[in-house]
Amino acid sequence: MRKIQIVLPLLFLSLLGFGQQKLVTGKILGKTSNEPLQGVTVENKKKTVTTDAAGAFSIAAAPGDVLLISFVGMNPQKIKVTGETQNLVLVLEEGNSDLNTVVVTGYKSEKKADLTGAVSVVNLADIKNVPVASPMLALQGQVPGLYISGDGSPTGANGGAPTIIIRGVNNLNGTGNVNPPLYVIDGVPTNRYEDFANLNTNAIASIQVLKDASAASIYGSRAASGVIIVTTKDGSSNGDKVKVQFSSSLTWQTERPWQEPVLSSTQRGQALWQAAVNDHNVDGVTDPNTISTNQIYTYNWNNDYANPSLTSVNIAPFVGGDKLEPAANTNWQNALYRTAMITSNDIAISAGNADRGLLMDFGYYNNNGLMQFTNYQRYNARINTHAGFLNNKVKIGENFQLSRTSQVNSTNDVGGDAVGDLAITLAPTIPLYKTDGTYGGPVGAGYSDRNNPVDMQFLNRWNTTNLFLATGNVFLEVQPIKNLVYRTSLGFDYSDGLGKLIHQTGEEGPVFSINSLTLQESKEFTFTWTNTLSYNLVLGKNRVNLLAGIEAVNDKYNTFGASNTNFAVQDINYFVLNAGSGTQTDNGYGTGYKLLSQFGKVFYSYADKYLASVTVRRDGSSRFGANNPYGVFPAFTAGWRINNEDFFQTIAAKASISDLKLRAGVGTVGNQTFQGSNIALSNAAALTLYAANYGTSSPADPEWLNTGTAYDLNGVNTGTLPSGFVQTQLGNPNLKWEQTTETNIGLDFGFMNQSLTGSFDWFNRNTSNILIQPPIPGAVGEGQLQWVNGASKNTKGWEVILGYHNKTSFGLGYSVTVNADHWADKITALPEDVRAAYPGDVNHSIIGHSQFAIFGYETDGIFQSASDVKGAPFQPGASPGRIRYKDLDGNDTVNVLDQTWLGNTLPKVEYGIRIELNYKNFDFAIFGSGVAGQTGYDPVKYLNSFINTRNNFGPGVLSAWTPQNPHSSVPALSISDLNFEERASNYYYVNTSYFKIRDLSVGYNLPLSIARYMKMQGLRLYVSGQNLVAFKHKAFLSKDPERANSFALWPKPTSYTVGLNASF
Amino acid sequence: MNYFKITIPVLLVASGFLGCKKYLNEQPQGYLDASGLTSATNVDGLATAAYAGIANDWWDAPITSNWEWGSVRSDDAYKGGGGLTDQGQLNVYEQFYLLNSSNSGSGDFGFPGVWIRAYAAISRCNVALRALNNISETALPTRSSRIGEMHFLRGHMFFLLKVLFNRIPWFDETATDDQIKLVPNTMSSDSLWMHIEQDFKTARDLLPSTQPGEPGRATRYAAESYLAKAYLYHAYTQDASYTVTGVNAAYLDSVVALTTDVIGSGQYSLNTDFAYNFLDGHDNGPESIFAIQYSINDGTQIGGRLSMSTSLNYFAGAAQYGCCAFHIPSQNLVNAFGTDGNGLPRFTWFNNTTLNDDSLTAAGSNVDPRIDHTVGIANHPFKYDAALPYEHSWERDNGDYGGFGTMKELQLATCPCFKKLGPFYGTSVNMDVLRYDDVLLMDAEAQIQLGNPSAALPLINQVRARAAAVSPLVKNLDGTYPSNYKIDIYKPGVNIPAWDQATAFTALQWERRMEFAMEGYRFFDLVRWGIAAPTLNAFFAVEKTRHGFLANAQFTHGVHEYFPIPQEQIVFTNGLYQQNPGY
Repeated sequence: MRKIQIVLPLLFLSLLGFGQQKLVTGKILGKTSNEPLQGVTVENKKKTVTTDAAGAFSIAAAPGDVLLISFVGMNPQKIKVTGETQNLVLVLEEGNSDLNTVVVTGYKSEKKADLTGAVSVVNLADIKNVPVASPMLALQGQVPGLYISGDGSPTGANGGAPTIIIRGVNNLNGTGNVNPPLYVIDGVPTNRYEDFANLNTNAIASIQVLKDASAASIYGSRAASGVIIVTTKDGSSNGDKVKVQFSSSLTWQTERPWQEPVLSSTQRGQALWQAAVNDHNVDGVTDPNTISTNQIYTYNWNNDYANPSLTSVNIAPFVGGDKLEPAANTNWQNALYRTAMITSNDIAISAGNADRGLLMDFGYYNNNGLMQFTNYQRYNARINTHAGFLNNKVKIGENFQLSRTSQVNSTNDVGGDAVGDLAITLAPTIPLYKTDGTYGGPVGAGYSDRNNPVDMQFLNRWNTTNLFLATGNVFLEVQPIKNLVYRTSLGFDYSDGLGKLIHQTGEEGPVFSINSLTLQESKEFTFTWTNTLSYNLVLGKNRVNLLAGIEAVNDKYNTFGASNTNFAVQDINYFVLNAGSGTQTDNGYGTGYKLLSQFGKVFYSYADKYLASVTVRRDGSSRFGANNPYGVFPAFTAGWRINNEDFFQTIAAKASISDLKLRAGVGTVGNQTFQGSNIALSNAAALTLYAANYGTSSPADPEWLNTGTAYDLNGVNTGTLPSGFVQTQLGNPNLKWEQTTETNIGLDFGFMNQSLTGSFDWFNRNTSNILIQPPIPGAVGEGQLQWVNGASKNTKGWEVILGYHNKTSFGLGYSVTVNADHWADKITALPEDVRAAYPGDVNHSIIGHSQFAIFGYETDGIFQSASDVKGAPFQPGASPGRIRYKDLDGNDTVNVLDQTWLGNTLPKVEYGIRIELNYKNFDFAIFGSGVAGQTGYDPVKYLNSFINTRNNFGPGVLSAWTPQNPHSSVPALSISDLNFEERASNYYYVNTSYFKIRDLSVGYNLPLSIARYMKMQGLRLYVSGQNLVAFKHKAFLSKDPERANSFALWPKPTSYTVGLNASF
Repeated sequence: MNYFKITIPVLLVASGFLGCKKYLNEQPQGYLDASGLTSATNVDGLATAAYAGIANDWWDAPITSNWEWGSVRSDDAYKGGGGLTDQGQLNVYEQFYLLNSSNSGSGDFGFPGVWIRAYAAISRCNVALRALNNISETALPTRSSRIGEMHFLRGHMFFLLKVLFNRIPWFDETATDDQIKLVPNTMSSDSLWMHIEQDFKTARDLLPSTQPGEPGRATRYAAESYLAKAYLYHAYTQDASYTVTGVNAAYLDSVVALTTDVIGSGQYSLNTDFAYNFLDGHDNGPESIFAIQYSINDGTQIGGRLSMSTSLNYFAGAAQYGCCAFHIPSQNLVNAFGTDGNGLPRFTWFNNTTLNDDSLTAAGSNVDPRIDHTVGIANHPFKYDAALPYEHSWERDNGDYGGFGTMKELQLATCPCFKKLGPFYGTSVNMDVLRYDDVLLMDAEAQIQLGNPSAALPLINQVRARAAAVSPLVKNLDGTYPSNYKIDIYKPGVNIPAWDQATAFTALQWERRMEFAMEGYRFFDLVRWGIAAPTLNAFFAVEKTRHGFLANAQFTHGVHEYFPIPQEQIVFTNGLYQQNPGY
């Protein structure tokens, strides 16, 4: 602190330009590597130099001058030049991004200090050692405005992409992956999540998140869901050294702390008995010994419905009378989940300098599956090179990554229930194994038609999904005259996904009678050609950057599927298409789209005080109708660096303000991503089309529904059928972009020489022309759905981030970073005939509410007595022990019109906090994040309240209401639900806010002397734990708060990791 | 030099600004626009697609089998399945009192799905008709037959909509999509019937009497039979509360004339064995007048255009099946198969005794032989397989729905027509829409209502005689019969005092129930005759003492004869459609 107080006034003095010039020389080293750094910027107010390959510099300076030393990814330093200053040796620390950090914001880079839009720079150190399969999953809670939600499966979504939302959902496509952000990786745009997920963190140089429309509008028609820009390393900052970075970790995962308790076999019988007794008291007929589970449970009891007393629960000794299947008391969660082990290894070798450089990177990640018979494996390799010629007037280079993932995911049972669901709801009387060693199953009277989840995973064990990606670009940069750079880049993004589905014939009843193999392949190739011309001009205090460019995108997508049946041997090596001897089918389709865009940007800065930029992009897309192929997306932003104002210096000095910048911008972005059930149709949404639909649309369709045009007119029962054509969509030649216009106002600030930094952003965005496919009256018939631009939304919100770092006198370094964001959306226009698809009723329109609003009944406790029921408004199904619903419209009858808004499924506020400590060679970090103001379906509340004759339930049902136990908050058990308690109500839509400690780590850096002895530049060993503890609202019963809505989601496991980072 | 250095890249970039309309032209692959559908082959393909349209369903909203609409809603069957909430919408339909316009299915599910699927099929007919109207007989020699077929299929779908919803928007191929959106459902019932009849008349006039080699196509006799069916329904005049206020003799005369023509054609006859109507290998047999054609291993992705509308109805506990045990014969229906000492129905007292495992034996109570074609009974051969008799352990929810199993729509797991699809099952056995036994009984019904019961007697007896010719297929392994069959034709003065109009009508009503039990005819027959409310409420009064889940079941006359108009259809038309009374 004292240092700052001295340095700052000196800095200001230096600005006045006193003193005698002399040549200051020095050398700059990186802290972790202890190697010279090339390309470090050393500047005083008059001159800027960079360090050479040996890390050396020399600069003319006068005593009193302050040298600012900055380098990408490093904390900058300021050195006051005194008379004695000479032969400096400075060590730069890797650290939080700072004002001089170079940020890539769209076809060009700029200094963070020059930013005028809402851009978050990700701190890579924070996510580097989190043992997840994708850097995205490690970002949850770290970046304000970036909402990420995934489950405990390796990819966070059982093979798919987690939910990623930047500043709210602009359109009406839901939270799914229809609206991914645009990823721009080394300048190549893509919507494919895996292109980002499969990057090695050791190869990433920087990640930026462009949140507001003014920042993102240079990406035009695809930027409405935000833009994430990634730059990979290329050896240019290596200072001619060869660097090897190696990271390795080993992680153990367990879901045991997050298991939901369920009833034992006997307890389940007891609950069903109580329900039957309760039902008898309503209908006079039900008898515990004749309900549908009577082939599992019979009861010895006093047969007195008024004062029931249960002596014993008798469990039928065999499931379905099968002597091989004795009744059990199975814990299905223990059976389905196991301890997973994750190994992660990543080695990056780089060499070179600013002129010529190389990066080679290879990674291997293996997760052997928290769930039985699942796994996830990834290999990735990257080569980046660049070289300059003719005094660097010509530069060429390439970035190229290959990755291959292979995974066996969790599956559904034969009837379509997720195994995760079954692990909680399947009857415990079913044994995991029969006595002959085969899997037990719910075959037989009294049981549901669901399957043994472990058996389902076993049968699914060969159903591997492979994804092969080849992505990258080659580029050429020419600088014909100083400051004018022409760059052309050919980007490519190739994916080849191959899914395998093997149906085996099994022992268990409702499986498949004939075995089969289905292979389904989809390939996509996207080619992006980008040409830009940029020019930088400095005229006195005026700085101008000009950029103009064109971009052409050509996407081709096609699928191919084939299947065969009747395989003689059920062995993984036998299941190839040629080996089947049964019926063969095939399928496939092709589609594509094209984009052609022109864009330009002008940035202007005066005296580093006044910043302004204008961008405009014009996008043409083949997806839109003949009448509207082009959209124009302009943006204007301005920034004011108040701390550079002369009048502000006194205040700044007094308040130790080191940075203060006000930003404002308004911009427009678009969305062209919309997708109905068929991407080929969506790509041609402007046209009315007919198809020859011989069979059904998809073999994976869980509904074995005929939708085709073939028909056995000849009555021969088999063979090729006569077939025809059917209309599949109604075209809309007027179709155009969704358009989002956003205003963003932000303030960046830093105090005490940037020890305390932060920024605040407020935004307001309006989206119009939202693409929807309104339902049509059934009478119009088939193939008449049409995409229209028909709705509008508004989203408002704010984001804040604050960071403080310092060091105590005894050498304890510490930092605290807090971030939070809020957004609230509402639908502002929606055609009348579409509203039925959204929550609400005739009295409660969705207009003015979020599409994520929950609509339902409010409850008012439990009816205690017959007189209670009599005195209350008429409610069909009401009786003592039943939930009492509020008569909101006061007409003395509870009916469908008594519903209201119960909350939103997406949070009002998301927040995160990170605390880091370091002392000598030790470092410690803890990170937690949470959400507030979120309402959701609590499956555990349901599990502990309602019962039926199919499933198992939670222990809460044992303390349900009975006349003898009238004060329970759980309604009387019933198997017939005459009160229709499954209706959406705030009984089980509860406050699902939570806070979770996501990551805690302790590291030890080997002393440099020892590392050197081991021929290393550095070695850090660490242990960490993830997903350690959760805090939540007391009404929210789910143990794992991120598994709200459905047990089909994998529980998020607790993990323990040991790892090392070595550099050579 | 610098000039060139600058201009080359500048030009490169600038060239992109000019844009290129051709570049953005991306044609869809594998699709046609309307102009691609004018050739004779493709126009014929549109007609083929319309046939597929009337068969494109699944158990979630069947438009082929009426088991959910005509059987579960009647005194023939319970919903079945695993508890009351399993496919809870069917429980709502079965109990009636729970039904309102928004609680029992939406989209493709339940009765709202039938609305969507039936109109989808109608749109295929209309698309084909528009194309057929624009092609010459020279280009497509089968043009007039195809036009007739499209009218037939359209009439078939409108008929289904009419008997389910009563008030429906009607239009033909001349209406554009925008016009269809403005068609209300306020057309009178009389006019709706006349439009439906007109489709069948047009079909009759244009269709050939046979379609050689193409038994799946509609024929003149199919059109005549369906026209007779439409007239029969039309003949019972309903008032606003669905009370039958009279019968229209002119329409009944037409029924007689049409059915007589079909019978007189000599093209059709009753199968020698009743079983053949429900067995593989007998598709498009002599009794079948028009049937939904199913196929297996036909190159479609799920391995066949299979009959899936009844795929829920296989047994849950049977090792050869595994799911889901829906559509359970009621005790009332089983009792109705009981016969008196003369082998005739126990018209008034059938429900006084309960037929069960103990009485349904070779030495037990007298029964109509059709029971062993219709109902799975413990230890009786199931589906003509004596080696694997029906067992109670096959019953999934013995507590709620136990006792019996359905049979007609099921096939053995060993049948080459049978395919397991996940937890469900499909077969390639056709589903008859119009059968000769139905034509005989329609003729009989019209004759009785016209006051000629004697003309009806041989028709009813023809059906009974076939039932009495006991099928060898139902035998036990040891060659004995599982039940004590006692059935006779009606012999006035011998086994029945007199054959007056009232007796004849009772006999006809019983014959229809026995012949078509569990096939989805029953509820529509009851509504046509105007006796749905008394019949079903009497059924509930007794049946709820046997099955507690029916404790609150109640049929309201004037409301429950028809489904509500799906609420979402009212919303999608901005309130254009009027809701049916009582909902």
